[in-house]
Parts: sequence; C-alpha cells; structure tokens
Amino acid sequence: MSVSTETKEMVTSTKPMKKRNNSPKSNSFVKHYYLMLLPGFVWVTIFCIVPMFGIAIAFQNYNPAEGIFGSEWIGLGTFEYMFVLKDTWNIFFNTLFIACLKIVGNLIVPLVFALMLNEARNMIFKRSVQTIVYLPHFLSWVILGGIILDIFSYGGPVNQLLALFGLDEPILFFAKAELFPYFLAGSDVWKEFGFNTIIYLAALTGINPALYEAASIDGANRLRMLWHITLPGIRTTAALLAVLSLGQVLNAGFDQVFNLYNPLVYSTGDIIDTWVYRVGLLDLQYELGTAVGLLKSVVGFIMIVISYSLAYRYTNYRIF
Amino acid sequence: MLKNKVIILLLVFAFVTVLSACNSSDNAEQASNNQEDSSDTSDSSTPDSGDSGGEAEVDYDPLGKYDETITLSTGICVEPGASKSLPEGDTLEDNEYTRAVKEDLNIELKEYWSVSCTNKDQKISLSIASNDLPDAMIVNRVQLRKLVEAGQIADLSEAVKYALPMSQDAWASSDGKALASATFDGKLMAIPSSNHSDGSIKNLWIRKDWLDNLGLEVPQTLEDLETVAKAFIEQDPDGNGQDDTLGIMGMDVNDILYSTFLEGADQGLGSIFYAKDAYPGYWVEGPDGQATYGSVLPETKEALSFLRDWYDEGLIDTQLGIRKDNNEPIIAGKAGIFFQSLWAVYEPLSNAWKGDPTANWQAYAVPLNGEGKWNQTVNATSNNFIVVRKDYEHPEAAVKALNYRLTYGDYYEFEHGLDASHIPLRVDTQMRDQMYRIAELIERVAIDGEPREILDVPWEPSLYEQDYDDYLEVKKEPYDEYDLEYWNTDNIVTLPRIYARVVGTRPIRDPNRNDISSLVYEQTPTMSERWANLMKLETETFLKIIMGAAPLDDFDKFVEDWKKQGGDTITSEVRDIVK
Amino acid sequence: MVKDTTMGSRIFDIVLITLLTVITISCILPIWYTFALSLSSKTAAAAGQVWLWPVDFNINSYIQLLDEGQFFKSFWISIQRIFLGGLLNFIIVAMLAYPLSKSSKDFKHRNILMWILVFTMLFNGGLIPLYLTVKSLGLINNIWALVLVAGAQGLVFNVILTVNFFRNLPKSIEESALIDGAGPWKMLIYIFIPLSVPVLATVTLFSIVFHWNEFLYGLIFMTREEFYPLQTYIQQMVIVLNPDIMNEEQLKMMAELSNRTLNAAKIFIAMIPILLIYPFLQRYFIHGITLGSVKE
Repeated sequence: MSVSTETKEMVTSTKPMKKRNNSPKSNSFVKHYYLMLLPGFVWVTIFCIVPMFGIAIAFQNYNPAEGIFGSEWIGLGTFEYMFVLKDTWNIFFNTLFIACLKIVGNLIVPLVFALMLNEARNMIFKRSVQTIVYLPHFLSWVILGGIILDIFSYGGPVNQLLALFGLDEPILFFAKAELFPYFLAGSDVWKEFGFNTIIYLAALTGINPALYEAASIDGANRLRMLWHITLPGIRTTAALLAVLSLGQVLNAGFDQVFNLYNPLVYSTGDIIDTWVYRVGLLDLQYELGTAVGLLKSVVGFIMIVISYSLAYRYTNYRIF
Repeated sequence: MLKNKVIILLLVFAFVTVLSACNSSDNAEQASNNQEDSSDTSDSSTPDSGDSGGEAEVDYDPLGKYDETITLSTGICVEPGASKSLPEGDTLEDNEYTRAVKEDLNIELKEYWSVSCTNKDQKISLSIASNDLPDAMIVNRVQLRKLVEAGQIADLSEAVKYALPMSQDAWASSDGKALASATFDGKLMAIPSSNHSDGSIKNLWIRKDWLDNLGLEVPQTLEDLETVAKAFIEQDPDGNGQDDTLGIMGMDVNDILYSTFLEGADQGLGSIFYAKDAYPGYWVEGPDGQATYGSVLPETKEALSFLRDWYDEGLIDTQLGIRKDNNEPIIAGKAGIFFQSLWAVYEPLSNAWKGDPTANWQAYAVPLNGEGKWNQTVNATSNNFIVVRKDYEHPEAAVKALNYRLTYGDYYEFEHGLDASHIPLRVDTQMRDQMYRIAELIERVAIDGEPREILDVPWEPSLYEQDYDDYLEVKKEPYDEYDLEYWNTDNIVTLPRIYARVVGTRPIRDPNRNDISSLVYEQTPTMSERWANLMKLETETFLKIIMGAAPLDDFDKFVEDWKKQGGDTITSEVRDIVK
Repeated sequence: MVKDTTMGSRIFDIVLITLLTVITISCILPIWYTFALSLSSKTAAAAGQVWLWPVDFNINSYIQLLDEGQFFKSFWISIQRIFLGGLLNFIIVAMLAYPLSKSSKDFKHRNILMWILVFTMLFNGGLIPLYLTVKSLGLINNIWALVLVAGAQGLVFNVILTVNFFRNLPKSIEESALIDGAGPWKMLIYIFIPLSVPVLATVTLFSIVFHWNEFLYGLIFMTREEFYPLQTYIQQMVIVLNPDIMNEEQLKMMAELSNRTLNAAKIFIAMIPILLIYPFLQRYFIHGITLGSVKE
C-alpha cells in the first residue's frame, strides 16, 4: 500500500511533463507497436484465423476429395437438421447444466474456503494449506482421470469404503448416468477450488484491518465481523467473478469429460465439445460437427460481450 | 471445362472398351478360368468394366512377385505397447514379416500412420477429411460409404481377381452377400472380410438319454418341445426318484434373451421367438417392406405371449434372467434342454461330462416354425473392408498383401511371436460355414473312405489333419453314430474340440435351416448414444412380460416408448443405409 | 488481525483447523494413494488391498517402466515442448501485451486489435481445418505443431492477464523513463518486463503447465507413438475409452484387465515435473493473478 501513495505523488509531479512530451512521441511509437504485435498476430493468423475458413464446412456438403473450396454449398441445411436433431438440445442442455454446476461450485466453495483460511492465524499452517490445495489445479485430466477412474472403480477404495459401511453391491460410479454430471462438477470443484481461492484471498487482504479493530472494540465476535466486514469487503470481487464466469457457460471441460466418460453416461455426460469430436470427427459427420461448433462459438461470443459490458457497467472493470 | 474433360474421357473409355470387346471373345474364357465367380463369359460384348484396357492375358497370381519393388503404405492400429514385443531394432515397418513380404512379393510395406486401436477411427477420419489417405487401410461400413460417396477410393473389381481361392470361396459361401456389401453401382470398392456364422447358430441341446429313459422322440415343433419339457420336469427323467429337474433353461444375469444385430447371446431363448417368425433384436423387413426393428413388430408380441404361457406353466426356468449361472444346473445334471451354439460343448458340456460321463447331450435343428423351417439369426458377413486410395498405381498389391497374410500370417504370429497387430491389412476371410466344413471333411475321410489329402484345405492349413488324428482318438466306431457312448469320454482334453465340430455342427447341416440376416449390422450415430438405454428398456419389458410381472399389453407401451426415446430416429437412419 | 481468546473462539479455531486439515488432505490423498499403489505388488493392487501404504513393497513397476523406452522418449518430447512453448509464450505475450496495454488515445487501433484476438480465442473451424493447416505447413509429426497450435490457443488469455497487469503499473515509472528518452522497445525490455515478473512468471507457468498437460494434439498431429508427448502416451495407456462398450459388464472387465501398479507408476512420474515447479512459482502466480485480473 505504501507504494501506491508514493506513485500517486509521482503521477502528480510528472503530469505537466507528459502533456508536453508524450503526444508527438507516441505517434512515432505506434509504428513500433505494430512491429511488436507482428509476430504474435502472424502466429494467431496462421493457427487461429486461417483454420476459421473451415467454418465453411457447416454450409457445405463437404466432399473431402474436393476440399473446402470445391465442395457443394448447401446453405443452412445442416443447421436445419441440427435443430430438429434431439441430440443437439440434449448436449446443449448437458453442457449448460454441467457448466452451471461447476460455475456455482467454483464460486462458492473457494469463497467459503478462503473465508476459513482467512480465520486461521498460524501463518505456516496457512501457507502449507495453500500450497497443497493448489496442487490439483496443475495436474492434467489425463493424470487425474487415471487416478479418479481407479479410485472410483468397481474394486477401488471408495467402493471398499462403502462396503465397510454395509453396502452390499459395489457401485459402478462411471456407469450411472444420473450421477455423472454431479461427479464431473464435484471432481472439477475439487481440482480447482484451491486455485480459485487466490483471488478471494487477495481481496481479503485488501480489507482495512482498522475496521476489524474498531469492531472488536465494539465487542463484535468473529461471526459478526465475518458478516459485517469481511463479506461486504469482497462483495465486488465475488460479483465480478460471477459475471466473468458467464463466458464459461458453454465450456463444460472437454479434457475432463473426454477422460472420464463412456457410452453408458452419454445421455447426461456428453457435452458439446465431446459430441463434436465424436460425432463430427469419429462418425465422419463433418458438416454437423462444424455447425454445432459454430453455434457454440456464437453463443460463447455473445456471452463474453455480455459479461464484458456488465463488468464494465457495474464494477467499472475492463476485462481486456 | 471440367465437363468437357469428362466427355472426352468417356469417349476414350468407350473406344477402348469397344476395342477390348473385339479382342476379348477368345481370351475371356481364359481369364474366367482364373476366377471362380466370374460373370457370364458367353456374353462377350459386355465385358466387366474392370476388364477393359485390352490386356490380353493377365496372370492373376495371388502371390506373384513384382519385378520392381513397389511400396504399399497402410494405416495400422496397434495395441499400445505392442511395439515392445518386437525384437530389438525391429519396427512396425521393418520386421520379420515385412521383410518376408519384401522378399517374396517385392512389396515394401510402409507405415502411413499407426495408432492405438481405440483411436483408430480418429486417424481414419482425419485421413478421409483431409483426403490424405494411406495406399490401403481397413475401414468399417460407415467409413467405406463416406469414402465411396466422396470418390476417394479405387475400384477393386479387377484387383479382387488376385484374391486367393480360399477368399473367393469364403465370399461365395455367403451367397455373394460379402461382395455385395462392398459393391456400389456395380463396382467393387473394397475387399470385404468374411466371418463364419457357425457361432451364431443356436442349437437345441437336449439330453437324449433322458428322452430314451422316458421313451420320447426327439422333438421337432414347439408342441413337441412343450411335451418333452413337461415330461422332463414331471416324470423324473434321471430316475433318481426326486422331483429335482428343470424344464427349458433361459438366460442368466450375464446373458441376453436373444442375439441382436450387435451382440450375440450366449444361451437365451431366441430360437423360440424365431419359431414364431419373430426376430427381436434384428433389423428385418417390416410389413411395409421397409427396414424395421424386429422387437417392435407384432410377431414379437405373439412370441412373448407364447413364452409367457410357457413360463406360467413352469416349462421355462423360473429364475429366468436372475440366475447367477445357467451352466450350473446343466453341469449338475438338473436341466436337460437349452439353446446354445456349438461352443456349448466346451462350456458347460465338457464340465457336465466330468460329473456324469453318460450325459448324452445331442444337438438338433429344433424348434421348427409353422412351415417346417428352422429359422436362425446369423451374424454379419463382413465387418471390415480393405480400401485402396484412388490414385494408387497397384491396387492389387493390397490384395496380394492380404493373400500373404492369410497364407503366412499365422506362421509369423505363432512361430515368430509377432503381435497380430504388427501385420497390416488383417481381415479374415472365413467360410461362412467353416466349422461345418471341418466336420464334413473329417467324415468324408472317416466314413466314406476318401483320401486324407482332402483335409489339406487352405482355410485352416495344417489344423485339419491334426483334427482328424484327434478325431480318430476320441471317436469310437461306428463313425456315423453320434451318441455319447460312441465317444471316448476319458480324453476330456481333446473331446470338446472334436465333439463341437462333429456333433455341434449337425444342426448347421440341417436342410430345414433358414438363415435370417439383419438388414444392417452397424451402429448408426444415434445408436451410439441411445442404444444402451433402449436395449435396457427392451430387456426389462420383455422379461417382465414373460415372467408375468407386467401385462402383455405393456408391449404396446414399450413400442411407443422405444420409438420416442430415439427408436424412430434410429429407424430412419437405418432406412437411409438400407435404401 | 484481532486476537480473540474466548472459549467459543477457541472451539471455533479447533473446528476450523480440523476442517482445513481434512480438506487439505483430500487434495493430496489421491496422489499419495497412487504413489502407494505404484509401490505395491500387482496381486495386492488387483485384489484392492492397497490403501494408504504400499502392500508387498517393491519397485517392480518402476523397473518395468525403465524397459518402456517410449515412456522416456515421450517424457523428453514433453520437456522440449514446455521449454519451447514457455519461451515462445513469454516473448510473444510480452510483445503483444505492451502495445495493447496502451489506451486507445495513445494507440488508436488498440481496441479493434484486442477484439480480434478475443475473437480468435472463441471461434474456431474445428479440428479438420486445423489439421489441414498443420499438414500444409509440413508440421505433421513435428514438435512445432504441438508448440504452435496449443500455444496459439492459450496465448490470448495470457495476453489479457498481462495487459491488465501492465495497465496497473504506476504510470509515473513509464513517464520518467520517457523523459530519459526511452523508446518503446527499451521501455518494454528495461522497464515493463522487470516490473512484471509476477505476471510474466505466471503466464509462463500457465503455458508450461498447459503444454505439459495437453494430450489431444499429440493424438491428432502425430501419426506414430514415437512422436507422442507424455500425456498423449499416458492417455493411450491408462484411459481406455472404448467406443464399443455397451454394458456395465464390459466396463468392469476392462478395469480388471488394466495394469494398475504400472499405470500408477506412470502417472506418478508424469506428475513429478509439476510437483517440482509449481511451489517455487507460487508467490509469483499469487501476485500475477491478483494484480492481473482484479484491482481493488
């Protein structure tokens, strides 16, 4: 905090200079700005923008032998088919449902955890806890998928534990379609909650300690302080995170689902990304896969625009 | 522009065809000698389109060596880690097998891509989508259709003539179904596999000694079977003075009620449905001539009603679908009737004989339907297809590579410890009735006194002579008596293999046999999502109806639900394929 | 923080510490279990006797793993990949973020360029055109396919984070450098990068972790096992997604067939680089994320 006061002084002291000096120079800077942007934009152009021509497949009867430029254009036929197809609704629903479960879990659990951690006073304990709970975030779903599939397998530790509590028949967790979305959300929250506490913890350190001292003198206990000081202090952060996560409603996590699902749970666990991979690629329905992918992109883009403007309007925060 | 080119090409093609037609009158016959299922040769004015080009005499040598080394790149699926089983220094491209192919055929086998078998479809799809195909690869039906539609693969009508006689025989053994499944607009676009169907035929296995004890004839119709089953339950067929025998065994918890177009049942009660002309689990022609799922047709309801009555009368094992292991009462000598393929001899029968070496289990083509036919559903003829990239110069090289693998592949697998997945372009070409052929040949030697040499057939080289020796060891004379007393039951190791082939295949040879094929054997896109649940719905409903836990009219509700829950979509997908 | 030593508060503390400990252990237990499994005998693992301690302690799985040359080949490919990917990401992100952190007053097209980047992050033509692109560049079976394709995707997110960090740096520092006559390149290299170690370390860590963990592109762009990065290799070995599964029986059978101890050893070894890196970068990413994303 001391830095900021210092810099404020510097800002005021240099302000007149800037007006005089900056404008003419910044014009000559712009050329260099473009030069700096060049490699990055070339990169993105080749690997992100050029492949976007593939979106054309959604409007074609794609013939691989003829390629994208030689295939017959059929207009919106694929999209009409997409909308009458029950699967489309099913996977959009699954995606939304799973993503919303995850978003809610990933907003609330880290918040609660951060509040708990904030109450702990032993710094070494606090630091060790933090370090350990970050760990799962950095592991891949290939690794965690392997571990989770083993732990929840038919003869795995979880079923053995349940057997100790008198469950006769082991549960084949990965064959239960009704459980699968919760399973995905649960394992995702478990993986991410530690990492997601970082922002909350930062917001918590930003609360003025004087407020607590004052409250303590007034005889408030810890719960009251939590309610009246801590929570209001991080309200903005929580709201902002909620708004930002809007952009994620169609991202239910390809890596996770791909490494955990199987045909028995397609009905509830199949999300847009896995479906596009399976139906669009493996089942050779290139047009349909591209069309669904495009629809997802459009909806995702709209969501980002909404969350951008919401964040800007209500918290005066510019995402980018 | 393009149109003009096409017209010119057509003109040239027509010209060449006319030329070759003039020449072909005298060499058509020669060519046809080399291929068994050649088209009608007398009609020389319209030769096979593949024959065009006017080459005078082609020697379709299945294992002919190329003068110059050619390369053949393939896409291979390898089990992860299989490369470890190769000797040090060897790779998928360079190992004992590929070196032998190079030596003998002058074909250099290249690996275009390799991937674990579970991800094979992804590589094939990328190959198709980017039109970046290996010279040859193995695809499934869906992929084959896509390749044909996009015109990415070569016409193999000519190349197929290089196929081994055994493959030609195998394709012919399904009445041309195998080749037809790879033929589009009269052109053979792929080399299909051919799988034997003997395992899908569900014999009636019955205790003939019990029949004899009770003075009963071998049943033929459903009515006969009802009489026998009743007698087996009530009249103490094993003569132990106890009321401990069961009627007809059904299915246990791990089995399915009847085979479907995707999955074969172990035991089950399919044969009874079929005797009522109902084909649940199979795609058949419906009353409107369109492809329809057999389980939703009224015949199935009738069959269910029939089974429901039998169950009610106690003729069918009361623990249908619940029993932990159907083999257990069979081994224990408590049950005398069940339906299973010839593989029943291995399990449960060989174990049953350990307890009771007099249990004279025989197999029959029973029950017959109203018209005296023994209806049996059979598995798919072909699941895999070898396709060749359109512009590849030597399409027949793929056929030759297949020939080589069919002739020597087993040798390299068993003698040199190569993993099966190291050998590219593996598709099986088995006789549709391969198991029965064995029995037939063995008996021709043993009973009719034909020379032993006839056992040296190409489909299962060297194995038949071994089988014959084993046969002599376990079979007692007279050779045309099949009851267990004419078998050497002491040799429990060798007995099952021979008993399965000789006794277990007898129903396969039955003249009443009538094969029912499914109109499709592949999974449509919607199936991969919905089928498991639809199948669950079907099994549960049918079991409940048979066991009286639900009224028969629940069938109608099932049909409705089935259609709503994806069945209609699937049906239209299937019709798209069939048309 | 305020000291509160009432009885209620003490109980609160105990409950709190216990809860936190339990939650923390839950994060590390699965990994410990995998480790214990990798050191147990196959039979014990198959019989499900392993809990938190190896049963019939042995290191056979690791010895067996040594035989699997491909595992280490893939490991090495992944190491190269994170090195190249991390370095490239660092350079390009810094170069993109600096101009884009300018206000649109100083850099007129800043907004439109930023939106173009965001647009590329969200829209894509699917795997097939991507494959066609990579193929036409001749990058099939080339490690650069992994570095460039995967790198391009995480790039924009990292740029956004860095732009936010740059924007929050005190303006005064930049201005005093301006007075000293620093041009944009000097500004970036001598002022912004040294001041932004937390966020640049964070985005580099993100990129390294992303490159280490990503598996699908290996499967798509590599036509042979020998070119697979580690996660792709492990995915093939450990996760068997069999499209033919139709019922629970088959699912059970598949699980029984897998080699649990060897798989556990592979998984454990594959985790080690991450376990080694992230604790040291911890203080950076805490700052990097907080300052880059949310200002108070």
